[in-house]
Amino acid sequence: MKRLSRTGPTASKRGVRSYALIALVLGFLGFMVAQGAPQVSGLFEPVRTAASDRLAGGEERGMLSKLVGRGAKSARIRELEGEVRELSRYKAAAISMAERLEAYENILNLMGEPPARGITARVSAENDGPFAQTLLANAGQIQGVEPGSVAINEGGLVGRVILLGERSSRILLVTDFNSRIPVMGEVSGVRAILYGGRDSVGSITDMPESDSFIEGERILTSAEGGAFPRGLVVGKAMSEGRNWRVQFGMAKRDGGYIQLIPPPLIPKPVAYVAPEDPPVTASPAQGVRQ
Amino acid sequence: MASYTPPRPSLWSHTGPSGRLVFGVFLITVVGLWGLTPKTVFGVVLAWPHAALWGAVGWGRVGLSMRVVALLIVFGLLQDITFNAPLGCFVIVNLIVYGLSTAAASTFDMKQDTLMSFIVPAGLFFVGFFVLWILASSFADHAVRVMPLLAYMLATGLTYVLVADLFDLGRRPGTLSGSS
Repeated sequence: MKRLSRTGPTASKRGVRSYALIALVLGFLGFMVAQGAPQVSGLFEPVRTAASDRLAGGEERGMLSKLVGRGAKSARIRELEGEVRELSRYKAAAISMAERLEAYENILNLMGEPPARGITARVSAENDGPFAQTLLANAGQIQGVEPGSVAINEGGLVGRVILLGERSSRILLVTDFNSRIPVMGEVSGVRAILYGGRDSVGSITDMPESDSFIEGERILTSAEGGAFPRGLVVGKAMSEGRNWRVQFGMAKRDGGYIQLIPPPLIPKPVAYVAPEDPPVTASPAQGVRQ
Repeated sequence: MASYTPPRPSLWSHTGPSGRLVFGVFLITVVGLWGLTPKTVFGVVLAWPHAALWGAVGWGRVGLSMRVVALLIVFGLLQDITFNAPLGCFVIVNLIVYGLSTAAASTFDMKQDTLMSFIVPAGLFFVGFFVLWILASSFADHAVRVMPLLAYMLATGLTYVLVADLFDLGRRPGTLSGSS
């Protein structure tokens, strides 16, 4: 009897548990609301980045792969994959340089931008949930990724690094509603702001009333604001009634790898220091003349 | 004359609530980690179930247990990190669904009434995703997309039909057999 009363859930115990559950829900609700303050959310950022590191970069330290002898093969495969990626980067750079050379021949005195060297990373996790559309890549500060780095794939611009860990980076996709990218038409030169949408097709805002894109022309980053380098392919313009939409290029060529290139460096302006007036002194020569 | 021999009880029927809880945790972890990988078939992105909700709905059928609450908090925090949600968001969803599941189990006869055994989990999943939508929209300052959430809800609900028995603890963890 005593045993049953010890283990059986009496009404009071059930009540305590119910109140505890309600208190936990309210506590976490308050905790979530408190994260609206940057000071509070900043406290938990290291936790997020550490957890992301574990999620994204854990395969090399797998005990199972070491035990079954798969580690050496995997290392070799990774090495070869790295070489292929390196070579494909050179290939892309060669194509880009050839195009640029042609442009130089056509337009004299054109100053182009040198191709940015970046880090290629594998997409470790992606979630299409109700929150910001992000990717997790398995390269971080240790691999040389910089805060605010720009992510591109074979199809074009993918997004921007918004959270950087030691071995992982979280990238806000260009398809997200919150992303704002200054863009321009490749042929028309019309400038506008692009943002992601609910249907994975970008929308255009802040477009000049007098000008318009050309149907099917490529949409490139305009580098205004300094977050993205100039000339990265974002997608293709398509008209939808009176509005213009952008079909993202990244979606078609999703090979599971992205390249993280450093953000454009805008040097801080140096404070102007007024030169001091030289002291007026007579030179020996002047003295001789006098 | 052939004599009737009762079927041998399965290993699962001998397993206690703690063992079943451990198996459920393993299943949720495997499905959750698998869900982090990109899943595209012929260009269509597959909706992946929120496995922690299976636990919240299934484990709630035997009453409130603080062990389960602790596990759901851990799963919720991991979901918050993987989905880049504010910390605590998925915890709230899991706990609300778990609380409602225990309340429904004490109100309705879920084991005998087949209709309720379908309607109640469906309602719980709907509530879970509705709460998630409200929290996500509040956090984003605009109404977030409903279609991905509906796809997730359908995926979670349909797969729950297949795995519901694996999340039946039999009795509340920490209690002896025979005690209610």
